[in-house]
Amino acid sequence: MARLTPTGYLLPSIHSVPPFFTEQPNPTTQATLTEQWTRLILSYARHRRLFFIRIEDAETTGGDWDEVLRNEQINRRVMPAHLSSLLATLVAKNLAVYEPPKQTRSVLLFWRSPEEWGETLHEWATSTGQLNTILTFYEIEDPPVPSPLSGIPTALLRKAIASLSKTGRAQIIGAADGEGVRLFAGTGK
Amino acid sequence: MGGNQSIPKITAQDRAILDLKLQRDKLKQYQKKIQTVLDREHEIAKAQLAAGRKDRAIVALRRRKYQESLLQKTDTQLETLEQLVSTIEFSLVEVSVLHGLKQGNEVLKEIHKQMNVESVEKLMEETAEAQAYQREIDEMLTTTLTLDEEESVQLELRALQAEQEPETAPVKLPTVPTSEPIVTEPDEHIAIPEQQRAKVALEA
Repeated sequence: MARLTPTGYLLPSIHSVPPFFTEQPNPTTQATLTEQWTRLILSYARHRRLFFIRIEDAETTGGDWDEVLRNEQINRRVMPAHLSSLLATLVAKNLAVYEPPKQTRSVLLFWRSPEEWGETLHEWATSTGQLNTILTFYEIEDPPVPSPLSGIPTALLRKAIASLSKTGRAQIIGAADGEGVRLFAGTGK
Repeated sequence: MGGNQSIPKITAQDRAILDLKLQRDKLKQYQKKIQTVLDREHEIAKAQLAAGRKDRAIVALRRRKYQESLLQKTDTQLETLEQLVSTIEFSLVEVSVLHGLKQGNEVLKEIHKQMNVESVEKLMEETAEAQAYQREIDEMLTTTLTLDEEESVQLELRALQAEQEPETAPVKLPTVPTSEPIVTEPDEHIAIPEQQRAKVALEA
């Protein structure tokens, strides 16, 4: 019985099974569980356009992750320790990075890889006619017209630009109190 | 991979544009902040009114009014800044258009060097001479031919004319009358109107 959440996300039926929320002693079952959880977290993040998940989302209520990390009907929730190991798995599989670096309480999720974000950025700039112009980071993250890049965190944007500059399609320009980027046409081949 | 060569250098103009855009972003963020303060003051005023403290509500509303005026001033400044940014970008576009024109002009000049007016005139003259020469040759050839066939052509023409003559004989028209036509009664009719006409003239 897949459940539909108030935000319109369809939770898989395994989410209504109590053992899903506890770490299993058997390694095979635990592996399956972890696999399901990582897929669920990324898919939910993609649906709600959430970029970060933190340990404190399991510790407190009222955050963006409540629909996934808790199931009131069966009175179960993901424990912080369980979430911590899930985050570690995500980072190990290169599906997330610890951001800010050098800590383990919050990760930046890659429900879309930085290369793909780079492509999205390039396509958006091409379609809005903003190639070969100087763009500020703020302009890209918070444009007046909502774009596929609205709300992207600066760290992820930087990675996307780095992947674009490897194929010669972006150039970062630094100024005294901020940074900008200029995008060029190109196929990236 | 010569890909890096296609990225143009960062010029001072680019930095200037970036600075302007950063300033514009700062203004936008400032506007957002003021807007949130505005909304909050509005809520406070409502709450104070609900609690019955009218004087505190008025204070909150006055603060809100001041924030609104700040917002308006920032709006005008934002407009000026954005105008400046778009003017600069437009002038950069103009520069590249000018550059394109210059290049096209030079290409045209190169082509003209190969195709100057004197050589074209000479070419046209030579062509005209060649055509005249050709016409002479044609005439010479045709005259030699007609010397032989001119006689037979004339004979044919006379034969055709003879054939056609009976068909196209001149139309026979009646001869012009030599004496007046004889009429009797109509004379009186003609005479009366003449007398009437005479009378009318006299009376007037």
